[in-house]
Amino acid sequence: MFEFLFKYPGTVFSKGDFVLLGAWPVWVMLLLLVVGAVVIGFQAWQMRERAAGRARGLRLALIWILQSALFALVLLLLWQPAMSIASLKPQQNIVAVMVDDSRSMALAEQGKTRKDRVTEALQSGLLDQLGKKFQVRTYRFSSSLERIEKLDKLTAGGNASRIGENLSTVAAESSTLPIGAIVLMSDGADNTGGVDLDTIGMLRRLRIPVHTVGVGREKFDRDVEITDVQVARRALPDSRLSAQVTLKQRGLSGSKTRVLIKNEGKVLAGLDIALKPEGTLQTEIVAFQSGTAGLKNLQISVEPIQGEENPNNNGVTRLLNVQNTKPHVLYIEGEPKWDFKFIRRAIEEDRTVQLSTLLSTTQNKTYTQGPNAQQLSVGFPAKVEEMFQYQGIIIGGVEASYLTVTQLELLKQFVDRRGGGVLFTAGRGGLNEGGWGKSSVADLLPLALPDRKATFHRDPANVELTAAGRESLICRLEEDPDKNVERWKKLPHLADFQEAGIPKPGALVLVDALPTSKGRFPLLTIQNYGRGRVGVLATQGTWRWQMQQPLADKSHEMFWQQLMRWMVSETPGRLVASTPKSVYADETKVSFRAEVRDRNYLPMTDAKVTANILGPAGVAEQVELAPDPVTPGTFTGSWTAEKLGAYVAEILAKRGEEEAGRDVLNFRREDGVAENFGAEQNRELLEKLASESGGKYYKIDDLKKLPEEISYSEAGITIRETKDLWDMPAVFLLLLTLRGAEWLLRRRWGVV
Amino acid sequence: MRARNVIVAMMAVFTLMSAAYAYQQFSQCRFIESRLENAPIPDDVGAKTEYFFARLKYPNIEHGPPANWLYPQPDPWTYGRPDFWLRRGHWQVDYPKAERTFMKGVQRLTRLHARTMEEVVDLDSDNIMNFPWIYAVEAGHWDLPQHQADKLREYLLKGGFLMCDDFHGTFDWSIFTASMKRVFPDRAITDIPNPDAIFHTLYDLDDRYQVPGAVMCFTHLTHEYDGYEAKWRAIRDDNGRIMVAICHNVDLGDAWEHADHPDYPERYSALAYRIGLNYIIYAMTH
Repeated sequence: MFEFLFKYPGTVFSKGDFVLLGAWPVWVMLLLLVVGAVVIGFQAWQMRERAAGRARGLRLALIWILQSALFALVLLLLWQPAMSIASLKPQQNIVAVMVDDSRSMALAEQGKTRKDRVTEALQSGLLDQLGKKFQVRTYRFSSSLERIEKLDKLTAGGNASRIGENLSTVAAESSTLPIGAIVLMSDGADNTGGVDLDTIGMLRRLRIPVHTVGVGREKFDRDVEITDVQVARRALPDSRLSAQVTLKQRGLSGSKTRVLIKNEGKVLAGLDIALKPEGTLQTEIVAFQSGTAGLKNLQISVEPIQGEENPNNNGVTRLLNVQNTKPHVLYIEGEPKWDFKFIRRAIEEDRTVQLSTLLSTTQNKTYTQGPNAQQLSVGFPAKVEEMFQYQGIIIGGVEASYLTVTQLELLKQFVDRRGGGVLFTAGRGGLNEGGWGKSSVADLLPLALPDRKATFHRDPANVELTAAGRESLICRLEEDPDKNVERWKKLPHLADFQEAGIPKPGALVLVDALPTSKGRFPLLTIQNYGRGRVGVLATQGTWRWQMQQPLADKSHEMFWQQLMRWMVSETPGRLVASTPKSVYADETKVSFRAEVRDRNYLPMTDAKVTANILGPAGVAEQVELAPDPVTPGTFTGSWTAEKLGAYVAEILAKRGEEEAGRDVLNFRREDGVAENFGAEQNRELLEKLASESGGKYYKIDDLKKLPEEISYSEAGITIRETKDLWDMPAVFLLLLTLRGAEWLLRRRWGVV
Repeated sequence: MRARNVIVAMMAVFTLMSAAYAYQQFSQCRFIESRLENAPIPDDVGAKTEYFFARLKYPNIEHGPPANWLYPQPDPWTYGRPDFWLRRGHWQVDYPKAERTFMKGVQRLTRLHARTMEEVVDLDSDNIMNFPWIYAVEAGHWDLPQHQADKLREYLLKGGFLMCDDFHGTFDWSIFTASMKRVFPDRAITDIPNPDAIFHTLYDLDDRYQVPGAVMCFTHLTHEYDGYEAKWRAIRDDNGRIMVAICHNVDLGDAWEHADHPDYPERYSALAYRIGLNYIIYAMTH
């Protein structure tokens, strides 16, 4: 219909430039238009008197507008309007037809694979029609690009569709070949990062339009897909961890299934779930135990549901490095108390965390225990190297004035710069009773402590998890979240509690204290501060959980062990190395990043940092990391991991001959995984690619106009054509409409 | 006649002197056994504190030493009336003055938040679980039924601490161990070596000596029965921590109780205080 009315396809209008071919200048036309409009207006005014009141106001204005529009249209036609457009010179340009040959093209829909549908479309006339006007080069692409002569070379067996990379390769050929346009036939299921801005910029610069042909269904009928999994990459042995699994589904709303976490085939955890309504991303948190030290290959999956169309997108792999380190916690306590003993026992039971304690027994005596008992006998650490050797510090019921100004400042830097964890607990000398709210480290605290005394009460208080506490691993005493909430409610009451004040913005209250008298107070509150973490536990009476429950109950031990692991497990060393991913599925480029700190945990800029990489089949390479010019103390580098399998990289930092730190990274290379995900046609990507490059998106079933529209391109060898517009049927219809409308209105109003 | 009169006079003088000496001795050693009904109620009776001195109330054995027991009964107030403690209960020996006097020292000498008013607990209810430190006096006279032994075992394995005191000699020991075997059939009772933390938590107590009870004033002996040597013993948990601290052949309770008595030697009270303080701090740190 568009072409019937406007004579030319839409591409002519979207790509071409509007021009006036008339010899007279445009200003003459505009002058005549103004004069004409005035004259018409004058005549209309005179008509007002003749019509004896039948033509006034709005009616008169409407007649004037219609007559003026008609006059303007005639003037425009006299100036010969036309479209000027560049088009490819026949037989002198190359059209590159790129066919996706990745594994997702083997998906069958209505009895035919996506590859078959592309082949069919090309063989049923498209290639022939293109061939009449252009030289056609056919390519297949997946993780790499290959030119093919015949379509039977298509196998739909590639590991990934690197659309961006392969487009760049074809576009780069335009330096030697007159490539006029690219036809990209794909499902758009690119799981390797999509099309980057550089590629888009290159296509625009070269003015090569990419016409995309979408193949495959835009929505599966029945499918569950894991879209993301967030899980820690390092952990301490026997830690409770959580995997945050995000999934989406089509046509399976309300279906029941199970999320599983396995290591080497052994199920570590499972969670029964019901799928949420279609269109919403569903996130489930599955708790599991890290187990013994060593590298774990976690398989996180959703059990397939009967009738699912693509079960291959139900599982992903992640690496977990369970490190055999023993973080060290320092606990200073201002007076003998029962929680001190039971906390010590709980932590000592956890073989992965060391505890050294400093207890003020009398006004002038301290009692020290643990690996650093001897060192602590002189008091709380007062030097950087003494304090920063710990990964976590518990400040028990000891007054802030017990520490010197220097020690308080070090404590602040311990969290902010060192990245350590600090826990403040309650007591006669704890929190605000000990003046911590007005101390120089008050900023650290996740609560604004009350500005008054008598906040510590030796009265019973029950406990209740908050919404954040339900999600927190610190508070997970039962695997099942609902059972966990109930178990917390049934815990024996605390021996005491302290009013800890109001949580600061950004702080998370995990547990509330409900005194049997009245009220509700934050009991366990945490927040991140600088590079570290700070918590406040507003009680010293958790020991009743141990004494008042059956001997076999481990609530008290589990709570304290998990709280300690939260404090220390993310405390960094002097060198922290990372890669963006732990599993490189169909990707080879591995980036390294290392943050290096000196003994005072200040960024070290003059270190020499190297990555010693060991991989499968004897791979052994050394990569030097370069300083990041933007972030002091940060070093980056990249390396290509060609071979499939597990890699280990030891990152070593040196200043001169002195070792400044080392860290060990693990990552894994896999192929044939990425194509299983995002297998629905990514129409959004294809449309965007087409519109950004000046091309057009087509459905595989509607390619009739492609050969014609592909001609209009500014790449390759082109000629400039002008297309007259005066004889468009739409113009004739407009003339008739304007005149006819005026006639009808005047007749109706009786205005002659 | 004259010589006879002189002899009679000398005998009379000797008798009078002996009587005067005996009276003097008796009056100097007049230790009145503490009784609840006579003890003033401390000011801090209702105070909520972290630590409470909890005295264990236990059932007695229903008999004294065997008839052929070779050793003299040392205490004229008790064994002179053999049913006295059976009726009152051996758990009440020194009660309540011993702990109330001792706790004043605890308050003065440490940062521990404690009150002088004691608590009495038994093994028939779960209330004992609110007091992770308990004291059993004259444990050589207890007779724990199995259900109480089970409760005590659970209490100790959870983290409770028991200090046993004031029982002497082999007979009391046999009574003590008979009940303790019901608590822990398989755990050994061992001597605590000097380097153990319990002797160093607050005071270094490598040099310990026998702490006698008030009966020493009459017998002039620091031991009772055949308990010639002070024994500091313990039962430990699987991690080597002391759960039961056994003070055998010593009477720390009397040393606390009579710490303010001019006739009770200060050196014994001093050691008893130090032992008690160390045991409390140990129980709160291990």
